[in-house]
Amino acid sequence: MKATVMYAVVGGLVLMSALAEAQQKSAPPDLVTRVCSTCHGPRGVSISPMFPNLAAQQPVYLETQLKAFRDRSRADPHAQAFMWGMAAQLTDPTITEIAAYYAAQPPAPGKPAGREEIAAGKKIHEEGIPAQQVPPCQSCHGDKAAGNGPFPRLAGQQRPYLERQLAAFISNARANEIMHANAKDLTALQISQIAAFLSAQ
Amino acid sequence: MRIKGFAIAMLVPVVSILIALAAAPPFAPRPASATPGFARQTGISCQACHTVFPELTPFGRKFKLNAYVFTNVKQIQATDEQSQRTLSLSDLPPVSVQLQGSNTTLGRGIPDAGVEGDLSQRNSTQFPQALSLFYTGKISDNLGAFLQLTWNPSTNAVGIDNSDLRFANHFSFDSIGVPDFIYGISLNNNPTSQDVWNSIPAWGYPFIFSNVGVPPVTKALLDGQLAQESVGLSAYLWLFEHLYVEAGAYRSAQTSFTNTTTGGPGPLDSTSPLQRISGPAAPYWRVAWEQDWDNHALSFGTYGLSARVHPPGIGESGPTNTFTDVALDAQYQYITDAHIFTAATTWIHEFRKFNNVGLADRAHDWLDTARLTGTYFFKRKIGGSAQFFSTTGSRDFTLYCSPSTFETAPSPACPGAGTGTPSQLLGSANGKPTTQGATFEIDYLPWLNTKIGLQYTAYAKFNGRSHNYDGFGRNASENNLLYVYIWTAF
Repeated sequence: MKATVMYAVVGGLVLMSALAEAQQKSAPPDLVTRVCSTCHGPRGVSISPMFPNLAAQQPVYLETQLKAFRDRSRADPHAQAFMWGMAAQLTDPTITEIAAYYAAQPPAPGKPAGREEIAAGKKIHEEGIPAQQVPPCQSCHGDKAAGNGPFPRLAGQQRPYLERQLAAFISNARANEIMHANAKDLTALQISQIAAFLSAQ
Repeated sequence: MRIKGFAIAMLVPVVSILIALAAAPPFAPRPASATPGFARQTGISCQACHTVFPELTPFGRKFKLNAYVFTNVKQIQATDEQSQRTLSLSDLPPVSVQLQGSNTTLGRGIPDAGVEGDLSQRNSTQFPQALSLFYTGKISDNLGAFLQLTWNPSTNAVGIDNSDLRFANHFSFDSIGVPDFIYGISLNNNPTSQDVWNSIPAWGYPFIFSNVGVPPVTKALLDGQLAQESVGLSAYLWLFEHLYVEAGAYRSAQTSFTNTTTGGPGPLDSTSPLQRISGPAAPYWRVAWEQDWDNHALSFGTYGLSARVHPPGIGESGPTNTFTDVALDAQYQYITDAHIFTAATTWIHEFRKFNNVGLADRAHDWLDTARLTGTYFFKRKIGGSAQFFSTTGSRDFTLYCSPSTFETAPSPACPGAGTGTPSQLLGSANGKPTTQGATFEIDYLPWLNTKIGLQYTAYAKFNGRSHNYDGFGRNASENNLLYVYIWTAF
């Protein structure tokens, strides 16, 4: 009887340590599990369109943004309300680790939108709007909008998030000279079309 | 001398009702879950955790399930030789203050033997209605607390309000397909206060209400009757980002004639409306499912408690009754920057088994409580709520006809098996607990941590009837309340 109990205890401990080891191998960084995932999802696909997807995002871009939240240089309303606090105590190695983790996740699937708005958005993405001095998005963000280094991935991004960011560039709530110049003449309809196309990718 | 004695005799019932009103759980100031202490600790603005305080967003629920430990304040730390952390304490304590002030106007004044006709006061201004001090946040790596001390004007004493000491951690069994989950333990003093949805009593609507209105003759045990008068330990799991499972047990907190903390009547005081849990503990359970998509969050669940209780004023060796609450709830939230809409509902069915003769007409009674609330806010600035509430139950003259000795006029005897006379104002002349009506509220928030509200509660039925419910000619609508308040936390 005693022996049976002992075997059971030892067996249980072995099983638990094996499980714990298995868990460690595939586990995301602790901070991702406990904090980031609450809004951005455990695999970087966000739980609400209020928050951006981070899956497959450019790691350089993620690092730059986290540092900009930390030093408060990115100051759009949601950055202030949510990310200033979240990023306040992040160390550089933690930022690198989080960025690498989310960058390595498979991208979010595109979300459906109206055929006409997607077509109009695609045209802006590929050709820009010469009459309004709007350059094509793809010249920096890539023809598949997958981003490149400091230029973020836009494909599959949450549509309301994209719209809000363009509005923030225009109002300078999110300070970015290049994006302000590129976006300042966009109409609300054009912003909506661009966001529809990009989020559908 | 005789005149003085008469005046004192007249004062007694008035004072006793004031005490009863002050001590009755529905009149205890309702604490808030919104605390700037959390904002201080996390560096995150209110709207991350709250739609409009104190209602929680999905992120706020997660923060609570994680034992309030997420922090961005510099930590004082210690580690042992194995690099295990032995201390992680916030540099600055996450403390905050809450202040509530209000004015209440009753449909008709509370009858007062010392005042002719209806000249008694129907207006009551309270500043503060309640003043609280919070410690809310991290204690150590996996341990956090929500502790509240409240000053109560009716007793002029500082007492323990809602308290929740909580441990939580994460684990996963990826190898067998169980992703990261949270497990935790909560030690708290109010069943349902540990919950993360705003559809069930402790954190349900109305979040703030008048403490000088007329209380309905009865309410379910889980509907605040054990608040701050019990201690519970419960364990919970948050699985697959959807499923919440909790099991716990509650015991009564105090066994005395005086509540040593508040100075008010204790569970054994015959004037106390409080009931004391008998035996080792009363089991509590909770299961809920949450589904979030886009800007929507939907949850539904069940909760309940089964307790053997000593009736008010009866000691530990006395007879017990068995109350079992079985409840359902649901909540829907639509959350964007511009528009926030919430619908919440709950239904509590209480089985009441009276194990001794004389405390009730029958051995078995029942009580149903239902609430449906809708809330809308525009840009977290201006909004309003509407709630429809209903309490119904079996007729019981003993329980409901003369729950108190408050009387200012001679009255007919209670009919049926009841003894004594109907209670003026507080009793139910027809022996029914039916109380139904609606509460409407409009709110303005000049800042995220300050709410100014105008609330109107209208009763269609009160303690069984619309007209002459107490047998003394008082109508349900005369208990209607207009309540204006300011509520801020900083």
